[in-house]
Amino acid sequence: MTGYPAAVGAPPVSAEPVPMPRGRRRTELLMLAFAVLVVALAYAFVGLGLNGKVSPGVLEYCLGFAVLMLLAHLAVRRFAPWADPLMLPLAALLNGLGVVMIYRLQESGRNGNPGNMISTLSASAAVTQLVWTALGVVGFILVLAVIRETRVLQRYTYTLGAAGLALLAIPALLPTSMSSIQGAKVWIIVGGFEIQPGEFAKLALAVFFAGYLVAKRDVLALAGRRFLGIDLPRARDLGPVLIAWGASLLILVFETDIGQSALFFGLFVGMIYIATQRTSWLLIGFLLFLGGAYLASTLFSHVGARFTAWLHPFAAANVFCNPATQTHCVPSYQLVQGLYGMSFGGIFGTGLGHGQPFWTPLAQSDFIITAFGEELGLTGLMAMLLLFGLLVQRGMRAAVAVKDPFAKLLAGGLSFVLALQVFVIVGGVTDLIPLTGITTPFLSQGGSSLIASWALIALLMRVSDAARKPAPQPIQDEGMTQVVRAG
Amino acid sequence: MNRAILRLSLFCLALFVLLLANINWVQAFKAPSLADKPGNIRVFDQQFQYKRGSIVAAGDGGNTQIAESRLAKGGNGTYQRYYPAGPVYAPVTGYDSVYSKTGIEQAENKELSGTDPRLEVHNLISLITGKPKLGATVSLTISPRAQQAAYQALATDGGHQGAVVAIDPSTGAILALVSYPTFNPNAYATLSGTKLNQVSKREESDPTQPLLNRALDATFPPGSSFKIVTSSAAFSTRKVAGPNTPIPAPNTLPIGNGHVLVNDNNEICGNGNPPIIQAFWLSCNTAFGKLGIKLSGAVLRQYADAFGVNNPNLKIPLPVAASVVPTETDPAFTAFTAIGQFDDQVTPLQEAMFSAAIANGGTLMTPHLVQSVQAPDLSMILSATPTPLSHPVTPTVASDVTQMMEQVTENQAGTAFATANPSIAGVQIAGKTGTAQNGVNNTQLDDAVFTCFAPAANPKIAVGVIVKGGGFGAAAAAPIAVKVIQAYLKVK
Repeated sequence: MTGYPAAVGAPPVSAEPVPMPRGRRRTELLMLAFAVLVVALAYAFVGLGLNGKVSPGVLEYCLGFAVLMLLAHLAVRRFAPWADPLMLPLAALLNGLGVVMIYRLQESGRNGNPGNMISTLSASAAVTQLVWTALGVVGFILVLAVIRETRVLQRYTYTLGAAGLALLAIPALLPTSMSSIQGAKVWIIVGGFEIQPGEFAKLALAVFFAGYLVAKRDVLALAGRRFLGIDLPRARDLGPVLIAWGASLLILVFETDIGQSALFFGLFVGMIYIATQRTSWLLIGFLLFLGGAYLASTLFSHVGARFTAWLHPFAAANVFCNPATQTHCVPSYQLVQGLYGMSFGGIFGTGLGHGQPFWTPLAQSDFIITAFGEELGLTGLMAMLLLFGLLVQRGMRAAVAVKDPFAKLLAGGLSFVLALQVFVIVGGVTDLIPLTGITTPFLSQGGSSLIASWALIALLMRVSDAARKPAPQPIQDEGMTQVVRAG
Repeated sequence: MNRAILRLSLFCLALFVLLLANINWVQAFKAPSLADKPGNIRVFDQQFQYKRGSIVAAGDGGNTQIAESRLAKGGNGTYQRYYPAGPVYAPVTGYDSVYSKTGIEQAENKELSGTDPRLEVHNLISLITGKPKLGATVSLTISPRAQQAAYQALATDGGHQGAVVAIDPSTGAILALVSYPTFNPNAYATLSGTKLNQVSKREESDPTQPLLNRALDATFPPGSSFKIVTSSAAFSTRKVAGPNTPIPAPNTLPIGNGHVLVNDNNEICGNGNPPIIQAFWLSCNTAFGKLGIKLSGAVLRQYADAFGVNNPNLKIPLPVAASVVPTETDPAFTAFTAIGQFDDQVTPLQEAMFSAAIANGGTLMTPHLVQSVQAPDLSMILSATPTPLSHPVTPTVASDVTQMMEQVTENQAGTAFATANPSIAGVQIAGKTGTAQNGVNNTQLDDAVFTCFAPAANPKIAVGVIVKGGGFGAAAAAPIAVKVIQAYLKVK
């Protein structure tokens, strides 16, 4: 392990008393207040934009949100006093803006007609999302309270690995009526509740990969043959990566979910790279992914159709293709509407409540980014992407700073998968890469994603707490040791 | 492991940079072109929320509004398109309906709707100062006098289908562009989808094809008016020295397979070897058929092209159908081509261009409709500069052809003497009639064609007229051209 920043290296040897690093909880509180203020203003502006008057219930909504965030802050003070002060405010701001946008879409109704609800959006969608936020914060507090040290998790490496795989596999095994929403077979639907187990599997598998790789990294880093200047791993060590690849392909086949499979495979390859520092693993992973994607696009019509929609979104045949009567058909209507929305917003945006994001199907979930692009403009959307970028950067920073290899791998992996998830969905809805329906962390409507995202932040904060916690002061020093001489 | 984490962080940074670059591309750079896509419901909804720019006809020096936006009655702040003169300017303005646009409304949509990049600075200022967004005003070269006269003349011509195009020969500015029968664009300006569907169903199923812009999108055989091109080719290639050079004009011209070409009504052409100028004013088919064979199909095609034929890319800025004159190799077909029959097909605009090129001393100016575009703050963002399209003939040849065209109306035996002579028209008109045979074995009535310019000595206007099934060109088409010229030049 090389390359520690000087700040966290060995403490300087000096006679001066070591300055106590500050927890910066007050900074966190201040920024949290700012985040809540931004959310409150956004909420008020939605009402002004839609009806010319401040949204009703602005006080109740914002007070509720503020109390939740305050609870989270107090929990951090109690359970992780040394954690990074930026993560919680960032998560709060993103979560709050998501609720505001869902409220805005719920209020404008289907096709901009408030009396006519969007079929996928209930009249109380914003309240529901606020309830999910509460559950997310509860989860956040629980994770911080229960997992006081990352080492606790390491003990459950294989248990969590099995749990993660099981969570992934359940939707594939369930009948379609209990697992499929709009063609994506990634749900568990029980008694009106919809859970997306993949969101939690992501966390469990990250823990599993971290535990597994910490144990095996020496073997995996062993060089085999050298080829084109790259040290290839030994053939027998390829097993785990092939298994991960196979598992992600299986998700793709049985759950028709390219996004999730890319996410899992990316997570694994990223973590194996952190563990071994071998570029060859990245290369192998990348080639396997490309091969798998190519294979999938030729073997499965729905994957190939996504490529077609990506390359020619505006072709009439793609915009209005009908999956009910045509094979090889993924309509690009939604994608096109999202792009229209973003271009309609232009550089400065239409302002909250002044745009028409309701034309884009599922603007409250997969396509929520385009709704923000439309109403907050290029400037607002860039700021939001930077919020995500900062969150990733803070996570990576914690990974670099922490000493424990398991925590290091876990934080690196979780930060990476967050970045990957944002890239896959934002890149998808802006036609940078083929569109695959995964949630936008913190923003999208839905409980599973929100709770899992809060748990992810809790884990990152746990790691950063460990990283920033000052080393325990020695109780004795040499000078006080008395030498007892035998008389 | 830290080195790997740092590298992975850089990779994440790259991912975010890609995302940022891409949304810049979508929201800043591609936004104008996305706004123009027909399926863009947002822009579509917005288009009635602000005042679209007006279209004005400025060809007479005034500013006659021919399309404007007005607040719809009871539409709380939505605007509706209004065309004060309705069908008169329909082939020019086109319509602006909820679902589609045609004509200038479509071709100049960016300017009229204010999405043109040249208007962006102005829009930004409006945005900051809180002023409502406005579209730019598009000024056309159309002369209301000429346009009205042309429309009236066609509409009172016994219900024949036809088209008139008038051009200022020295600039290429289009002064009149009329197609008849036509539609009323006000019917398309309705904000009701059901009403619009009824209107478009009615217009599309009308057998008289009111939506067809005959001036630009329909082609007709030019008939004898093509003899202008044949003569130009003959003078330019020195196969005929001048207007008074005699050319053979047999009573019948054998063209192979036992077929013969004859003159109209089997008339005799002068003394059988008349000067070309006489063959021209009499419009002898045998003389020009024989001349065409002598010139060859390739040369005829070459000069036709120089006059603007066979050009599928002409935009004024409305797209213009290509006029067609093929390269004939067979002498029989070449003879027919030389007298504007058989495969020759030209638009009414092309008819006007034949005369305009001769009138402008052999230089054909690019025909255009848009004179200028003014931003809402009245600053000029576009002003048309006349540009030559081609130089089909030299000034000498142009003056020779002019001399012949003058005789068509001035010589008592000229084909248009009865309808377009100087004492009737009040101005000296140089022109050429055409009577194109139509249908299988000429079962249908002939198409009447007249192309001309005036005043002959100092041309200000060139006119092309085609009246479908109008019969003899001089009788049906020439009077319409005379009325347009008189209105434009304020004669009588």
